[in-house]
Amino acid sequence: MKKHRILIANRGEIAIRIMRAIRELGLEYVVVYTREDENSLHVAMAMDSGFPYKAAYRISNYKDPNEIFSVADEAECTAIHPGYGFFSENFRFARRAALRSRPVVFIGPRWEVIRDLGSKINTKRLAKQLGVPVIPGSDAPIYSEMEAEALADELFYLQREQGIQHPSVLVKASAGGGGMGIEEVNHLDAFRRVYRRIQNYAKRQFGDEGVLIEQCLTDYQHLEVQLLGSSHGEVVHFSTRNCTIQSTGRQKRLEVAPGFDPEHFEYPFDAGAVLDKMVEYSVRLASHVGYDNVGTWEWVVTRDGRPYLLEVNTRIQVENEVSACISRVAGSSEPINLIKEQIRVGLGDKIGYSQKDISFEGTSIEMRIVAEDTRRGFVPWCGTITRFEFPDTPWARLYTHVPGNRPYKIPTEYDPNLALAIIWGKDTPEAKERAREFLMKANIEGRDAQGGEILINLDYLYERIEDVLRF
Amino acid sequence: MLTDQEHMADSGKLLAQFVDRISYLMDIKGGGEWGNLEELLQRVQQLRQSVFDFPESRLFEEIGRIEDRLSFLEDRVAEALSPAEIVNIVRSIQRFTLMDILENVYDSFAELGGEGDCNVDPAVVAARATISRRVKNKVFSHQVMVIGHEKGRGEEYRNGGSAKPWGNDKALRYMKVAETEGIPIHFYIFTPGSFPIEDFPGAAQQIARNIYAMAKLKVPMVSFISEGGSGGAEAVGLSDIRLMASRGYYSVISPEGAAAIEGKIREGERVPRELVDHCARQLKMTAADNLRLGTIDRIVEEPPLGARREDYGFFKRLRYEMIRATDEVILKTKSLRAFRAYALKRQAEEQKGVPDEFHVSISWNLDELEVERLLELRSRKYRQMGVGFFRDQKKSFLPVLGRARELASKGYYDVRYGLLRAHQKNVQKVIEEVSGESSVFLRKMAEPVKAAYDFVFPQPNKPSRPVRAEVLEKKSIFMEDWEGWVPPLANEDRTVTCPNAKKKGCQDLWVPDLYGEFCGVCPSCGHHFPLEYQWYLNNLFDKDSVREFNEHIASGNPLGFDGFEPRLKRDIRRTGRRSSMITFDAKVQGIMVVVAMLFSNFRNGTVGTAEGEKFVRACDRARTTRRPLLAYVHTTGGIRIHEGTLGVVQMPKCTLAVREYIDSGGFYIVVYDNNSYAGPVASFLGCSPYQFAIRSSRIGFAGPRVIRETTGEDVPPDYQSAKNALGRGHIQGIWDRRNFRKNLFEAFIRMGGPNLYYR
Amino acid sequence: MDINLNDLLRRYRSHPFEDYHVETEHTGKISFKVKEGQEVRGPGGKWGQRPGTLLYLLERERNVKKIHATWNGQIAELKREKEGRFVEAGEVILAIRHRLGKEEIMDRILTRVLHIFPAPQRARYLLIPELAQKLEKTSEKGVFIEPGDESLIMSLMKRDTLISYDGPPGVIYKVYFQSGAIVEQGDPLLGICPPDKLRYVQKVIQRIRTEWEE
Repeated sequence: MKKHRILIANRGEIAIRIMRAIRELGLEYVVVYTREDENSLHVAMAMDSGFPYKAAYRISNYKDPNEIFSVADEAECTAIHPGYGFFSENFRFARRAALRSRPVVFIGPRWEVIRDLGSKINTKRLAKQLGVPVIPGSDAPIYSEMEAEALADELFYLQREQGIQHPSVLVKASAGGGGMGIEEVNHLDAFRRVYRRIQNYAKRQFGDEGVLIEQCLTDYQHLEVQLLGSSHGEVVHFSTRNCTIQSTGRQKRLEVAPGFDPEHFEYPFDAGAVLDKMVEYSVRLASHVGYDNVGTWEWVVTRDGRPYLLEVNTRIQVENEVSACISRVAGSSEPINLIKEQIRVGLGDKIGYSQKDISFEGTSIEMRIVAEDTRRGFVPWCGTITRFEFPDTPWARLYTHVPGNRPYKIPTEYDPNLALAIIWGKDTPEAKERAREFLMKANIEGRDAQGGEILINLDYLYERIEDVLRF
Repeated sequence: MLTDQEHMADSGKLLAQFVDRISYLMDIKGGGEWGNLEELLQRVQQLRQSVFDFPESRLFEEIGRIEDRLSFLEDRVAEALSPAEIVNIVRSIQRFTLMDILENVYDSFAELGGEGDCNVDPAVVAARATISRRVKNKVFSHQVMVIGHEKGRGEEYRNGGSAKPWGNDKALRYMKVAETEGIPIHFYIFTPGSFPIEDFPGAAQQIARNIYAMAKLKVPMVSFISEGGSGGAEAVGLSDIRLMASRGYYSVISPEGAAAIEGKIREGERVPRELVDHCARQLKMTAADNLRLGTIDRIVEEPPLGARREDYGFFKRLRYEMIRATDEVILKTKSLRAFRAYALKRQAEEQKGVPDEFHVSISWNLDELEVERLLELRSRKYRQMGVGFFRDQKKSFLPVLGRARELASKGYYDVRYGLLRAHQKNVQKVIEEVSGESSVFLRKMAEPVKAAYDFVFPQPNKPSRPVRAEVLEKKSIFMEDWEGWVPPLANEDRTVTCPNAKKKGCQDLWVPDLYGEFCGVCPSCGHHFPLEYQWYLNNLFDKDSVREFNEHIASGNPLGFDGFEPRLKRDIRRTGRRSSMITFDAKVQGIMVVVAMLFSNFRNGTVGTAEGEKFVRACDRARTTRRPLLAYVHTTGGIRIHEGTLGVVQMPKCTLAVREYIDSGGFYIVVYDNNSYAGPVASFLGCSPYQFAIRSSRIGFAGPRVIRETTGEDVPPDYQSAKNALGRGHIQGIWDRRNFRKNLFEAFIRMGGPNLYYR
Repeated sequence: MDINLNDLLRRYRSHPFEDYHVETEHTGKISFKVKEGQEVRGPGGKWGQRPGTLLYLLERERNVKKIHATWNGQIAELKREKEGRFVEAGEVILAIRHRLGKEEIMDRILTRVLHIFPAPQRARYLLIPELAQKLEKTSEKGVFIEPGDESLIMSLMKRDTLISYDGPPGVIYKVYFQSGAIVEQGDPLLGICPPDKLRYVQKVIQRIRTEWEE
């Protein structure tokens, strides 16, 4: 492999994980940071990296692509790792990286793939073509009221057919996202009014009055399939994970792999068969589009055992290591490092092993440790952390950008995630037990500006561990 | 025998007159240096102070010497009046004004719509007046409406004859009164230009409304120009006969304005006098020039140094000329033979100076048929203006063929009218389907074009490597000094900054993204960056549907403006086009339209004779083919100053053509983009009942600098923004460029409706 | 809460300056357009539409950006050694020594007289739209505020929180922050003048007006 110098266009724990992966691959990195992050660990690490060049640049904003490319050129970087969030799923950024006069490798899928799978509508259309199940509804924005009503009528009918007690339909702005401009309709009579409201909202807010309509699912679990592809046409998967436990605002707090555990839990359907099906569908779609990096296929599974493809995340995810933790390649006793794999294939390597070389062992649980008030709508807490200690055991890994040796003021500009803890056990009961033990032994202290005690979600996580993998 | 006292009083009066005459010469010469006028003035002033110290004989001796000197100087000035000096004559406070005319040319008058400073706009005067003539010792009176500018004698409220938008509105109101009452209108133009403010009804928009109305006003109109300052003159200038004072000027722009542009003089800096003189000559603004160019019909002779307030002989002549002109307009509508006889008789009688009597009295009433003929003659007169001053670059045999083809196509469309009816029915059906909400149709038609643009720029090519980033400067009189930055449409690996970045925090935009996928629109604030006109040709109309016509009509340099030829040639070479107006047939989602497009790259989209002619022909083509007419204004910088008044008369000419198109049943829509200013907006664009603007465009009458210099007030940065134009009611809506095609289609369907292909 | 106005005025008189440090707003290559000691002017025109003196050019991704002065004053502490070099975001590259005007002196002294409503957290702050509108309309200081009135929006960690005013009732005399900008904890947000202090405040203003010579 050519000696690449990779610019890490991200912050927090993912920046640190990427830095370590790059180091392990024997490559070089450069980090960027903003004034708010001056005291973050990733900056200190880069400054102490010992590289014979300037490895940390202060920029105005992580979200400004011009800053990233400007530093990439100045620091003579040959590749950019976007991490998650920020530019990870921005096809324009990836396109610019590839097309600019001094091209830089974007560590992620090709920009065309990001663009095509980045559109939920397009993904849905593609999935339908390939026989992959999606939530019943429109696969293109609707602009005509009559067409919309006809579709809504059909969706209500289908749900009654399935014996659903309270059928309902979601109306959403096609240009929207993040829960904006979505409304639920419980009866066809009310449909027209809601449709018009959403249409007007969409027109006002996004300048495009297109509206999507789909069946509203109420009782389901949220699962993901972890895939890895390469530009050499290979695609492998690293099993499934279950991300059903979320705070308000659909923020994931606890993830577990594998996606279901029929050995320890009762499911109203054949859980193993459903998982296999999901994986098979996901690989089918990935192979079809020539998917060439890490990616997550998001699914919902309803109580009657139907999986529906929701969307594809064309990036490395926060929770990638839950899956990595239970994956072994070619009999190795060490879990795989997905970020390393991502960088490798991103820089043009072959995966070099096939699905039959991959085996799965035990259960893994990820806990997101966040300074927030879990009793008051998960409002973020800000202040200074004075003590940040977790038990050091072989079955737990901790990722954090909070320095352990000095007080750390939480920057108010970004998400208040403090750390990720990943626990492994030989089976689910052991993993749950270890997770509780880990939380019990954690020692975190901090004060806010008014002298108040730190608010952190450890108790919340402790309670919710019981719900893991239970339908 | 006069007493000494009386003698002294008399000499006092004489001396006072000397002062007036000297200061008048100083006005003309722009100062007291020439001919030692300053010194002469001081001599006269001293004499005035010490009248009683001198013995009478010496006094009169001295007066005689001064008189000699003064007459000598006056003759010298009159011998070689330069155009710039004529401008000074017109601006002199001693020149006659409309009030003098009302008092001396007309028998009686009643001012309408205000009096003195208690007035909607004291710069504009309207009056019902009677004018009378003697025929064989009998007096005949005629009722007329007099409308014009009053410059006053330096009273601030007169605003130097610069009409406010509501002043022009007042003028229009009384034109309509005259039409109702069936009396002729006498226009008197004494304006340096309209007051360039956008307050409702808006300088440009109101002038456009006036011209549009005058084009078909059903009464005879005669205008007299003393000071014809461009657009402001046109607001009350369209008429059946245009007279001009021999020492008046009629120009597209003030010589100072032209000099500031030509010499690229920065705001606040003094414009060199030589440059002003030079420009005044170049602009061909004198009466003789205008007569030669065909922009006026006749000259009214003034005394060699111009008429002043007490030149009663001149007023007598003016009365005669106004009556004669009105007679002629009337007679032409009745019988050409009677008109010729009348004209001959007049010419004969004028040999001996201004006749005291007319040989006949003519009634100034017209019947319906005569009104029709009046309008037809007016149309012919204006359509003829400027013809012969552009270049026709058709190969020699082509004109014949072209003419034949035009005739053939006219016949073809006349025959096809029946068929068109069928087409019209189809459109009708389409509309019914729209209201019936047939989903298939709606989806096809109403889906935003946004998706379509992905196909236009599916895969950006690899951007080219720019040689070196540079700040491009492009100056225009309609831009502020600090904002003269226009990014070129390019596929280069570089970024640009959104002008709203400071206020709204927009990030720098990568040029290939901006000009590709984003259609030149900042994705965070919606600011529209200018795009080249080709973008519209490629993206607005159906694929391969654009068919240009009249490409052979080319801009020229009809006035022989110094230094203009190379610049014209450069633009022709650079753009591969021969005028700033492109006219073509095209389709918008299947709807056939005729399009007239003004674009920026050629002389900043200014309008001259070639552009005017092309526009008129586009109107006529839309009329014969019975199609909607779209005027898309990529940019227009107004009337091309290098064509002088030949350019100015394109305002009435084009307005008249488009009015005839609308009156005959056409659907006319105007869309402004980037910068649209001055003459065209104040005429054939501003008169459209349906005017829209692309976001971030600017529409106005004058640029900020001109406004500042005229009004003495600073101009808010968004003064002429599309948003404010909408707020003032100048336009009917603002369109996003990304939805341009869709909006255009909807406009045709909704507003054109069943009348899309003619009412 | 009386202040020693004479002392304050004397202090300002001996040093009537405020040094505004200019930071690079983003990365890029810098080239200066001013010299140490040069007089520069801030934005002009009735609406501040005329940009101030060109301070430096910052080129990033082949976009040459002109950076203009936002204050009148004299250039100081110019980092000449950065000329032609790549700079990071937020580097202090020069200062503008701005001579305080009468109004500015008044603002500064008034912070000691008015009741100051400070920022409870380091966060971005915005006036609630109704209040912003009211303040815009009434150019004379006439907007009254009472404890419990929702007055500000604090934007923190992507969440907006409404903040109620909790000081004594009074007239909003001064808004100290720019809408949407980050304010450090404890920095003044609003300056409020309670009715009983109005006379006193006016007296202070009157005195500064008469005693301060530009």
